[in-house]
Amino acid sequence: MIDVIGKRKYMFIVSAVLILIGVLFLLINGGFNWDIQFEGGTIIKIEMANDSYDAAAAESDIEALLGKTVTVQKEKTFNPDDQSNSIALLSIKVTKDNTLNSSEINGVVDFLVQEYNVKADTIPQIQSVEPFIGVELRNKALMAAGWAMLLIVIYVGIRFRVMSGISAALFGIIALVHDALIMLSIYTVFNIPVNEVFVAAILTIIGYSMNDTIVIYDRIRENTALMHKADIETMVNTSIVQSLPRTINTLVTTLLTITTLFVFASIFNVESIRQFAFPLIIGLTSGSYSSIFIATPLWMMWRKYRIKKKILNAKA
Amino acid sequence: MANKPRRNPRMDYSSVSKKEPKLKPGAKLWIRFSIAILIVAFFIVMILTGAPGLGVAKVSEIKTGIDIRGGVSATLYPDVENISEVTDDQLRTIKTILEQRIEAQGTFDYNMSPDYENKRLLLEIPYSSGDNTNPQKVIDDLGEMALLTFREVDLTENGYIINETTGRIEYLPTDIIVVEGFDIDTASAVYIENKPTISVKFTDIGTEKFSQATKRLIGYPIAIFLDDQYISAPTVESWIKTGDAVISGSFTADEAIDIASKLQYGALPFAMIAKEINSITPTLGESALSVTLDAAILALILVVAFMLFRYRLPGAVASVGLIGLVASIIFWISAFNASITLPGIAGIILTIGMGVDANVIIYERVKEELKRGIELQEAIEIGFKRAFSTILDANVTTLITGGALYIVGSGPIKGFALTLIIGIIMSFFTAIVIVKWLLKALASTKALNSRWLYGVKKEVSK
Repeated sequence: MIDVIGKRKYMFIVSAVLILIGVLFLLINGGFNWDIQFEGGTIIKIEMANDSYDAAAAESDIEALLGKTVTVQKEKTFNPDDQSNSIALLSIKVTKDNTLNSSEINGVVDFLVQEYNVKADTIPQIQSVEPFIGVELRNKALMAAGWAMLLIVIYVGIRFRVMSGISAALFGIIALVHDALIMLSIYTVFNIPVNEVFVAAILTIIGYSMNDTIVIYDRIRENTALMHKADIETMVNTSIVQSLPRTINTLVTTLLTITTLFVFASIFNVESIRQFAFPLIIGLTSGSYSSIFIATPLWMMWRKYRIKKKILNAKA
Repeated sequence: MANKPRRNPRMDYSSVSKKEPKLKPGAKLWIRFSIAILIVAFFIVMILTGAPGLGVAKVSEIKTGIDIRGGVSATLYPDVENISEVTDDQLRTIKTILEQRIEAQGTFDYNMSPDYENKRLLLEIPYSSGDNTNPQKVIDDLGEMALLTFREVDLTENGYIINETTGRIEYLPTDIIVVEGFDIDTASAVYIENKPTISVKFTDIGTEKFSQATKRLIGYPIAIFLDDQYISAPTVESWIKTGDAVISGSFTADEAIDIASKLQYGALPFAMIAKEINSITPTLGESALSVTLDAAILALILVVAFMLFRYRLPGAVASVGLIGLVASIIFWISAFNASITLPGIAGIILTIGMGVDANVIIYERVKEELKRGIELQEAIEIGFKRAFSTILDANVTTLITGGALYIVGSGPIKGFALTLIIGIIMSFFTAIVIVKWLLKALASTKALNSRWLYGVKKEVSK
């Protein structure tokens, strides 16, 4: 039988290193790359007739028009009507302190339509959020994640009383925090904007990871009764190995679908979907990994410590 | 394995073989089999044909969110110092007025919902093809107060400025209001001497006020302001008792229509400003939709292939369940009158992967029991029974996170949470009921009870 439990220390080190890399990048980048949705600011994307326009000139023209600092970039995306060509986009980004109001936005759009080679009858893509709304949304999202975790602790605590529930739940939560940290590391290393999509991805992973941990816990709950003669290390290892086919197969089917989505989004430049799928791939892998190598071994170590203490107390 | 088999395999063989000749349990299996097939067929037929009577649209006609069809969503906030002083009644009034203003511009497909807790209005206007109105423009001056005032003017030097471009006098608003927007009964844009002009008819109270003012101010101008914007200042030539007035100024025909509609439908107690705007180009939404749909179809094919390869006959049954599951999610989205959003489709794709999890848990159990030498029917029974609590616990936790997302998420993320929640509930139902009924009936036939079909070696290993 594979000895998962025996190798736990190496796995703890792997996780710690990955998270440290994330922290390092966080320090280098000076914090998260908050999306304008969570910070405030304006993004305008307008479809151009072709991509032979001068982004730098557009930038200085718009700055002169608004009297505010803006960033103009060229972008392209998949064209469903003509697959051999992509759509050329002009993207204008304004930071939170300069968030544009509705008439400023219309002013910029009207200006571009007049002065630049904008595609006829196009409707621009606009996202504009006042900073206070961004902060409100961010807090709300963090609250949701907190509440979700609390409810899961309570539920797992009740359902797994045999495993001295609350502690089992807490180690499950440590695994969740681990997964969230791994995902945050990915976000900082790849500088992906943190927005509502990120919260959705993290919460999905929290659900998935807990799900994975519970399947193993469930096996431990069952084996606690069946293998009461075996020592705890063997019992826990057996439980992990018995649930391994399920863990792997479910990971495979889930990764198959999300990777397909990611590949399609990457080939055809659908940025929003790609930003959603990529962290999910990492998170799913981390979720399965942490159930096997973080939550379960930690719980076992704690359990062993308690049993030892009990024996010592009994002797004394 | 460190643990011993819980049952004596021989005992199980004999007990099952005793049951086999009886017809009744067999008939029950096939009735359930048929019901399961009917349920799957129901969902598939429903989404293919739709059922207008039940409020279910077919898959090609389910409404899509503005992230796909394009359009604009905005959050309008009251422009006041202290937002807590805004009452629910005021918000309700504003909503009605804004609805009339939107409709006056020829836009009828929109959704405006008040958020009483945070004192704001959420507005969504989808882009409709063939319609040339730009939804972003609709929102632009939608929330203006449009408070029309007729005021006495200050004729001293402090009372006016000279407009540099036109060179004409523009009065500044004074505190002496003669009549205001509330006193207006009807307003319409008309051409007078080929100039766009707004014709106003006052209410009875307005007529009285206007009559008194014109009597008092003969020979003096009365300035007209829309909000703080100066419009014009006609000089009162005679005492007007009828309650009719015309507002002329330097506006275009479109502006005249716009001002008239604002006057007609009333003024807002305060301006509403769009502080969050999200406008999506239809072409970008469509391109994202076609990409995600292709991905969804390929994902489904891959998972079905994997399940067939890994679990053989039960894998095929799970695939039937999976197709039913996807159909049922689309069915419920349609039945709840929710929109399909891009994150929603991503949620469906995720569900395709996670939805087979319950089957995987069960089938791995069944395989374990079969390897232990337990007879097929019994192994399936044990597999479903043992896996039940695992599946339940695992699903409840996912449900908790889905619920949290649904509560805090905005439009598109709500779509994701909704598909996730429906997906979890339906995948639970599919695995525990549909797949079980299908599999048990199939496994009862002689032709399909080979151990190989269930993913284990033909011979029982000792």
